[in-house]
Amino acid sequence: MNFLLLSVFMMLVTFIPRILPGFLLDKVRLGPRATKFLNLIPYTAMASLIFPGVLSVDVERIWIGALGAIIAIVLSLFKKIPTAVVVIASVLALVGIYAII
Amino acid sequence: MKKSTAYLNGVRVALPVILGYLPVAIAFAVMASEAGFSRLEIIAMSTLVFAGASQIMAVGMIATGASMLSVVVATFVLNLRHFIMGSYIMKRLGKTSTIEKLTTANGITDEAFAIIGTTEDEKCSVPYLFGIITVTYGSWVVGTALGAFVSMLIPASLSDALGIALYALFISLLVPKIKRSAHLITLVIFTALLNAVLGLIIPSSWAIIASCLIGALVGVFFVPDEDDASKETEVAK
Repeated sequence: MNFLLLSVFMMLVTFIPRILPGFLLDKVRLGPRATKFLNLIPYTAMASLIFPGVLSVDVERIWIGALGAIIAIVLSLFKKIPTAVVVIASVLALVGIYAII
Repeated sequence: MKKSTAYLNGVRVALPVILGYLPVAIAFAVMASEAGFSRLEIIAMSTLVFAGASQIMAVGMIATGASMLSVVVATFVLNLRHFIMGSYIMKRLGKTSTIEKLTTANGITDEAFAIIGTTEDEKCSVPYLFGIITVTYGSWVVGTALGAFVSMLIPASLSDALGIALYALFISLLVPKIKRSAHLITLVIFTALLNAVLGLIIPSSWAIIASCLIGALVGVFFVPDEDDASKETEVAK
């Protein structure tokens, strides 16, 4: 596969939803159902991206990905903990686990 | 407000994003290099696409043998959310010129959206958004380059552990938004399980797209309107 060509295609399909609002906002009115559908996409997209993919962080030991996910979920429940800290803490937790197994 | 002041305000407010982007950018570069990308290809993808989640998804899909078409379609579906975010940002900015629309479009990300969403009206302006984009885009490209050049210096234990970075990022974006709604939590679990089941019958790259679209469709009827936490991003007013 040509990765540069892939990047160009990915840029184009990413650019479409990014540029359209600026030009269409005054002309197109989405119905409430279409709006709700688009609003829900981030949740369902992230759900599909997280599971079961997270289990393949280490394909031979799926519990490692599961453990990392649980750590991230628990930390995310605290309002005061920023995203960056959740990411770094989850990575460091797995580094620690790899050091002891 | 002077344009330069607004720009610097945008730069300042976006600085914490660097901490979130760097580990993810490095993780992306390491994964891409393991999937067979050259340094040039890794940096080119971050420079052109500037959409972290879909870039990591892309290299993950390629590593499992996905076709270019499925990667491009998955990228499109995943980034459809920028339509909502872009609409909201454009509405907050008010009138913008064609040049301004074209130059800010590729900087519309989850993070820029989150920052604009928590900014008072008098601060919102095109230079302010440019300030945010300078930091977010800059740290994404620089972080990727850093990752591309140090990927072989990174010890195996750290590069294995970095595999969790994007998942942790997704989780930390997702959990706070759904934790107050039993319906959204149920929808997310339903979609995840649907994805796992579909993944047994069709290639996982297509399962992601199908479960994401079916999940959102089910959600339109299942989730009460008031639970839709992203309501403030609504386009139709």
